[in-house]
Amino acid sequence: MAATPELFLLITCVNSRWHAVASWTWDAQDETCGICRMAFDGCCPDCKYPGDDCPLIWGACNHSFHLHCILKWVNSQTQPHCPMCRREWQFKA
Amino acid sequence: MDADLEALDALTEGNLQQIIESWECFCTGTDSFLSGDLSVAADSDEYAASVRALSHYGLTRLVGDHFLQALEESFRKNAVSKFWKSFNPSSDKTAASTVSSFSNVISLMSQEGSEEMLTASLEEICMEKVYQEKLLSILLNSLLSEGDVASELEDYISTLLPRHQLMVSSVLHSTLPQPFLGILRLYFRKILEELSSMITGECEDGYEASVDSGVGFTCKSDMASRAGAMEIEEVYDQSVTLKNNELIKNIGKLVRDLRSLGFTSVTEDAYASAIFSLLKIKVQYLAGDDYRSPVLESIKEWIQAVPLQFLNALLGYLGDSAGHEDSNSGLKSPLASLPTCYPGIDMPSEELVRWQLRLEYFAYESLQDLRIAKLFEIIVDYPDSSPAIEDLKQCLDCTGQHSKLVDSFISSLRFRLLTAGASTNDILHQYVSTIKALRIIDPTGVFLEAVGEPIREYLRRRKDTIKCIVTMLTDGSGGSATGAGNTGDSLLEELNRNAENQESADYDDDLVTDDKQAWINAMRWEPDPVEADPARGSRNRRKIDILGMMVSIIGSKDQLVNEHRIMLADKLLNKSDYDIDSEIRTLELLKIHFGESSMQRCEIMLNDLIDSKRTNSNIKVSAAKATQIDAKQDEGDMSLEVFDATIISSNFWPPIQAESINVPVAVEELLSDYARRFHEVKAPRKLLWRKNLGVVKLELQFEDRALQFTVSPVQATIILKFQEQASWTSKNLAAAVGTPVDILNRRISFWVSKGILVESPGSDSDDHIYTVVDEMSETNRNGLAKGTLEDLSANDEEGEGSLASVEEQLRKEMTIYEKFIVGMLTNFGSMALDRIHNTLKMFCIAEPTYDKSVQQLQSFLEGLIAEEKLEMRDGMYVLKR
Ligand SMILES: [Zn+2]
Ligand SMILES: [Zn+2]
Ligand SMILES: [Zn+2]
Repeated sequence: MAATPELFLLITCVNSRWHAVASWTWDAQDETCGICRMAFDGCCPDCKYPGDDCPLIWGACNHSFHLHCILKWVNSQTQPHCPMCRREWQFKA
Repeated sequence: MDADLEALDALTEGNLQQIIESWECFCTGTDSFLSGDLSVAADSDEYAASVRALSHYGLTRLVGDHFLQALEESFRKNAVSKFWKSFNPSSDKTAASTVSSFSNVISLMSQEGSEEMLTASLEEICMEKVYQEKLLSILLNSLLSEGDVASELEDYISTLLPRHQLMVSSVLHSTLPQPFLGILRLYFRKILEELSSMITGECEDGYEASVDSGVGFTCKSDMASRAGAMEIEEVYDQSVTLKNNELIKNIGKLVRDLRSLGFTSVTEDAYASAIFSLLKIKVQYLAGDDYRSPVLESIKEWIQAVPLQFLNALLGYLGDSAGHEDSNSGLKSPLASLPTCYPGIDMPSEELVRWQLRLEYFAYESLQDLRIAKLFEIIVDYPDSSPAIEDLKQCLDCTGQHSKLVDSFISSLRFRLLTAGASTNDILHQYVSTIKALRIIDPTGVFLEAVGEPIREYLRRRKDTIKCIVTMLTDGSGGSATGAGNTGDSLLEELNRNAENQESADYDDDLVTDDKQAWINAMRWEPDPVEADPARGSRNRRKIDILGMMVSIIGSKDQLVNEHRIMLADKLLNKSDYDIDSEIRTLELLKIHFGESSMQRCEIMLNDLIDSKRTNSNIKVSAAKATQIDAKQDEGDMSLEVFDATIISSNFWPPIQAESINVPVAVEELLSDYARRFHEVKAPRKLLWRKNLGVVKLELQFEDRALQFTVSPVQATIILKFQEQASWTSKNLAAAVGTPVDILNRRISFWVSKGILVESPGSDSDDHIYTVVDEMSETNRNGLAKGTLEDLSANDEEGEGSLASVEEQLRKEMTIYEKFIVGMLTNFGSMALDRIHNTLKMFCIAEPTYDKSVQQLQSFLEGLIAEEKLEMRDGMYVLKR
């Protein structure tokens, strides 16, 4: 393209500040918690705020639940097992 | 007559002779009496004897009737025509034409001494009447001196005096010339005006004038003690002496004369109408167009000070104000409950109390009509106009003519407010002022309901209503487009503050609290409506009112909450700092009104911002440490120092439109760096970037200046592409930015409008070429000069927010019902809106429950029509085939 020099005038950005937006996810295999049926990226019925306040926890079997949900479940049983696969429940190391 | 006939049968020749002689003597005597020669009666007994003789022969009735007739003839001939002549100067005929009569009156009254003329003529005709009465009493004496008079004759004789009185009054009434009533009225009016200016003028001008004016006032007040010259009591102190006033004496005499002539009601009408017309003028004068000070009290004071004092003095002079002596029996209910005292009047007569009630009612009605006619302006002026509103309330409480207010106000609303030209914000502001103002007038809300309905109905038809309501409730700064509302304070804030104020002080009126005020407050008290929740105090109910009426425009609380959530999300995502103090405050207020659970999602959104701020600074600290250790930052790269992020819990935010873009490489690197660090801090959580959301601040350098812009990431990405290349075709640029061409064209228009880029047609008809503007060319320089101030924000693009609009969201929610609706229409053929609504309500009770309003359904069905799935025939929805 044959052009006069002015056409090659470029924008010069001397300063910029970028404020971006992201959403977070627990990146679990399932959408919802198998115990309370609430979304993993939401929170368990006992919690007000999702995220740090209501964390997810994985079992040795690789099933995940809201921490608060599985604790309740585990405490209610003498021989705790995973509600999903019935294997003995152990927290993933 | 029977007695007379019997007597006639028994007559002898001699008797007859005596009768004839006596009759002649009687007639001549009567004539000479009437010509004014009283000597006949005084000197001789002959007249009396003839009367007795005639009476003896049973001719008493004949004598009496003849005598009365003679009196009437004489009265007509001598007194009446002369009397009327003085009131009808233009024409001697009594039936003066109505057209000229008024001007006659004016000309008569404007003449000097017309009052004297009236008084003198009245005096003259009264004297004539008194003279006739005297003659009549001579006759009566003669008739009664006969000895024992048969009782029926005695009855007859006793009617003669009343018959004479009747004759006088009926002769005068039957010959009454037109202007006379007008003259009387003007006469009283003039006197009253004189009195009014005497009484009210006095307190303004000082006492000297009144003392000098020679009205005979005795000034009780010490001259030194009247520093505050407006003290009403002092006026009353003086008014006490009104009874002795010359003016009152004259009027009293005049009224008495008129009464004695049988003009009692005519006279009362005349001074009544004079009083009322003066009162009306006074009300108009005091009310004026000033709504910021109360006038009702001064009107009432004036009524006390002028017309009532006048009436009291007049009635007192005439001696028929019964209340003075037999006080308690005359004082029945209406007064007993009135707290008003009559300054200077010890014990008001029943008559006076009646007058007061009449006058006050008239004043209330006049003021009420004046205020109602201007209610629209008054409400625009609210709360400054609250004194006028308080006055109006009192008036309406007395007259009960609230429906007048409703009709008149609705028609002015339709004419002045509910028009295409008025902005939704203005309508809402007037609506709120209307609620506030009418709530004072009508605490039960019945009339407010009637007045509010047309506004609500109109607002429901406007698309931006919900948005405006939410803005008005939650946003103090940007809310009022015309600046009508007080800036910096949201409606919620105001409602809340009022509620708090009412807890500490019951009434924040600036009126002094004295006994009177206490009484007014007591009158103001209204019981809570029966249907009100007893758990809520009446104060709480007041606060709920406005909000409730705002919600009732929208239809449901949920819609308002939802709209607020969408707007809040938009606001939060466009923040470049994490400053959410005012949003938190608003949320707290909304929680009070709508309940904590309704606001749960908003609370999480705000909490996200708080968390984001903390996480953001943690990440930056860790990044700074890392750079110190590595110390291998490429110069020219962007660092995390100029990067921030908001991290949202997307499940609790409104649906967000995903628009993929290829942000500049440097930014892309920052994003992954940031995400990695997030994952380190918050494992196992991960970040998903919403690249089209956020805020970018850019400072672009031009030859002679730098310009700052606050734009969206897409707009930033677009303009930064021109760092690499001065000219782009829209297709190439769209591919580079990673966005569809139509979106690119929409977004890039911002830079064109700012004069940074210029658009030219490309080789292809739907391809455009965008080029950086050559600053040296004159035309563009102008274009640029226009919008060069420091911060050019791109956030006000027309509703092109990144969040799904309410309609889109509603559409999503409604889509579930589409198959129900199609199924219904397949079965029923055609259905009206209401029927579809009701059927959905009936059948969709399982999850998801149908909970939409008719309006929402309607807008959804309109969408289906636009998609050519349905059509509308005769107001019914049918399936499109
Ligand atoms: Zn759970
Ligand atoms: Zn929890
Ligand atoms: Zn398992």
